[in-house]
Amino acid sequence: MASASLPDNPLLTSAKIVIAGGFGVGKTTCVQSISEIPPINTEAWMTAASETVDRLDPGIDKTTTTVAMDFGRRTIGTDLVLYLFGTPGQPRFWPMWDDLCRGAVGALVLADTRQLAASFPAVNYFEQDSDVPFVVCVNLFDGVLHHPLEEVREALALAAGVPLIACDARDPQSVARALLAVVEHAMARNPRPTAGALAAH
Amino acid sequence: MRRILIVGAGQSGLQLGLSLLAEGYDVTIMSARTPDEIRSGWVMSTQAMFATALQTERRYGLDLWQDQAPRIEGLHVSLSAPPGERALRIPCPLDEPAQSTDQRLKMATWLELFEQRGGTVHYQGVTTADLDGLTRLGRYDLTIVAAGKGDLVGVFDRDPLRSVHTAPQRGLAVAYVHGMTPDPLLPVPHVSFNAVPGLGELFVIPALTVSGPCEILFWEAVPGGPLDLWAERRDPAEHLKLTLDLVRRYTPWIYDRCVDVELTDGRATLSGRYTPTVRRPVAELPSGGLVLGMADVVVANDPITGQGSNTAAKCAYSYLGSILERGDQPFDREWMGQTFERFWTGAGEAVTGWTNAMLQPLPPHVQQLLGAAAENPTIARRFANGFSDPNDFQEWFMTPEAADRYLASVATG
Amino acid sequence: MPMTYWKVRPYVLTAGRTRTRQPLLVHTLVSVPYYDAVFASGLLPEARSLYEHARRARSVAELSAVCGMTLGVTRVVVDDLAATDRLQIHDDAHSLDFRLLERLRDGLRQLA
Repeated sequence: MASASLPDNPLLTSAKIVIAGGFGVGKTTCVQSISEIPPINTEAWMTAASETVDRLDPGIDKTTTTVAMDFGRRTIGTDLVLYLFGTPGQPRFWPMWDDLCRGAVGALVLADTRQLAASFPAVNYFEQDSDVPFVVCVNLFDGVLHHPLEEVREALALAAGVPLIACDARDPQSVARALLAVVEHAMARNPRPTAGALAAH
Repeated sequence: MRRILIVGAGQSGLQLGLSLLAEGYDVTIMSARTPDEIRSGWVMSTQAMFATALQTERRYGLDLWQDQAPRIEGLHVSLSAPPGERALRIPCPLDEPAQSTDQRLKMATWLELFEQRGGTVHYQGVTTADLDGLTRLGRYDLTIVAAGKGDLVGVFDRDPLRSVHTAPQRGLAVAYVHGMTPDPLLPVPHVSFNAVPGLGELFVIPALTVSGPCEILFWEAVPGGPLDLWAERRDPAEHLKLTLDLVRRYTPWIYDRCVDVELTDGRATLSGRYTPTVRRPVAELPSGGLVLGMADVVVANDPITGQGSNTAAKCAYSYLGSILERGDQPFDREWMGQTFERFWTGAGEAVTGWTNAMLQPLPPHVQQLLGAAAENPTIARRFANGFSDPNDFQEWFMTPEAADRYLASVATG
Repeated sequence: MPMTYWKVRPYVLTAGRTRTRQPLLVHTLVSVPYYDAVFASGLLPEARSLYEHARRARSVAELSAVCGMTLGVTRVVVDDLAATDRLQIHDDAHSLDFRLLERLRDGLRQLA
């Protein structure tokens, strides 16, 4: 059952799913829906080059930017706690994404069909720069799917192996089903070790 | 035991960290990526290292790939005349071999070695807020920032007196390939340096990557020119195709060697551009903490002279000397400034001046020197060895007066 | 054993690290195995705050938020306290561990 503090169990382990996507696609809502604690928002600041579009270019001028992430938590049984980390909306500071994604079971990339481009950087990141399994999920802001998923797949130029689903980020059950899709995708990517593979160890 | 924090796990940060461990220091490194992530990640550089830099690694037993990496015996300089004729060809032998070991292989292994030898590593991308908190913690006697490719360089102010450029001077496009055939005119491992006047340069560098020996095809494109197809990041297969299209068109003598090339792996390409910049070496954080920048954090030159990793190694070695000599005295602001100046006068200034000169259209005296080098192996050898120690260029290459003196001495000598 | 984070500067090196060096992930859980008030009172502010807040298991990210310290500072302090066995780092279930994925799947099915 949801509670403020974690079970007092020295064998407690944790897992993590990353919630990614552009600014305003519903990441915080999604975390909030299923978290047993109010989402925690943390911010770090960077003195960074301004208006840099190139990952190689440290730039000339500088500016202070804030790198914000929020996260929530859901206890599963007495010995497992699932953390949900929302990535910084603007993929400004890529190492923070690497840090959030390191050791994640998978990622849910949220997309808003009214502003699909906002999720391009996140999709690119998981396609090119990360080995974390990911599922793309159209957030149904008003509960209705406005475009067939196949059109969305085409617009996002998603590879065939990437699952595309829809969910309502306000609805805890819907979010749970979306997270379930991430876990099942991760399981499909990493099938149960066969007896032969185990014997080889 | 003095405690040192190094932010960044590249050539300079890891070389300094491993050397300091060997000297008995307590060293912590912050790395944005784990060894496995580095090994399986995108290529980062072309990293041809010449003898002077390799020597600084050898002193601490860090040249672990000496036997596997191709031994680069010289440079092969060619000038292209439109549309793809070779106007001039200069074989330039090196006194001692250069080597290029893929930083994915090297940094992943060095990072593991650093941990095995008792160094502490924290895996995370460091923000300025982290840097502020870490210096405030008072845990470390010295904090060095060696993460030149990240946003953290922003804490260091640009030095307008030492920075010539305000915009990128080349678009960069790197592809690691297997299957290139040897140069029939110079069939030993060498760096091929092909200048296409006004448009850019193509380098071919023999290297050792994760999957074995390979060649690196590296275009330097003058921004806005016909070679500059690298403003956006491309799919690796498309990147290679464009690279080869340009090779065929502008340097067909290299294309002849590329019939069977393929990318070494799925993350074997790199593109981008940056502004060559010299920064002030000491930054003060809001809580009052001081950090010292090193290598390309504070001296970032265009890769046209292939000096990035060389400068990083020299900076690590120079800083190491300053740290050891400091003994138990505080690493204060004055010491930090002196530490940088020692590196700047010892290596940084010459490499920066020479590299910035090579980015410009070649002045008459340099054209004259290269023409003479095509006829005279002594001049060609001196040019090649300058890549190992660019301080030498000051003596004969950088000014018309020095060039005249040198050519006169070679003629009479 | 010389203890790091006592209110004496400069810090003394912690001897003999014992834990296998897995990266401290943002969701890695840490907890104080047995609380020692005397030990706590001798700690510097950052370590004190973290030690107090880890009396119940918390992730690195939660500790960072609740202690008001950046992730980098949190990791350094966690690592130092863990080296003296004053803090327990829970084993990370490997993200590719099939049993972990099964437990997660079954748990999420309950919520779906």
